[in-house]
Amino acid sequence: MTDFAALLRALTEGGVEFIVIGGMAAVAHGSAHVTVDLDIVYGRSDENMERLAVSLAPLSPYLRGVPAGLPFCFDRATIRAGLNFTLVTTVGDLDILGEAAGAGTFENLLPRSIVRQVFGLPCRFVDLETLIHLKRSAGRPKDLERVAELEALLEESRR
Amino acid sequence: MAGSVQRDHTGDMKQPATGLIAVSLEPTPVIEAYKKDVDRTLLRENLKLTTAQRIEKMIAVLAFAEELRRSGKGAGES
Repeated sequence: MTDFAALLRALTEGGVEFIVIGGMAAVAHGSAHVTVDLDIVYGRSDENMERLAVSLAPLSPYLRGVPAGLPFCFDRATIRAGLNFTLVTTVGDLDILGEAAGAGTFENLLPRSIVRQVFGLPCRFVDLETLIHLKRSAGRPKDLERVAELEALLEESRR
Repeated sequence: MAGSVQRDHTGDMKQPATGLIAVSLEPTPVIEAYKKDVDRTLLRENLKLTTAQRIEKMIAVLAFAEELRRSGKGAGES
């Protein structure tokens, strides 16, 4: 089971600029669904990619679904050469996105995010309206039920 | 499609937010069909909680599911 607190603590205490999206953001807004991984959009500045690599290093990040033992070094150069990574760590699954479908970069999402305290840490979550936008943009059939719930949530929160 | 006008799901006309790719937020038959079955009582209860409490509640559900999985394995179930 993913230790969300450990993942968020590593990122936050490492000074990483990131925004929580996906299922965890939905839960933060009140969704009744559960999620088993953490999805974040991270800033692509050199400094931030270095902080991301350093903060996750103790958690031994490795590509999810890839046979063990392949050469994989999660450092700034690797992050810069790639964009979106689906990782497994010693504390659970973590998806890090340089760009999210429909919204682009960390900088695009920043003004559409909110900070909330979780596990005693200040964490930034994408706002509910933008989360709906992201899910709609992804256009995946599996997201349609989630979109329905998120839109119902938005309606309820405005009552 | 930057700069085009879109309609959000509340029916308001508005400019797409900077940096966001324009996407239709019009109600769709599939989403509206799913929406009818959303248990809004759960959502209303969650809205009474803080963000931290909502996440703690989900983790408790995950822990319970994990415990069930473990007990199933212990009983020889797959």
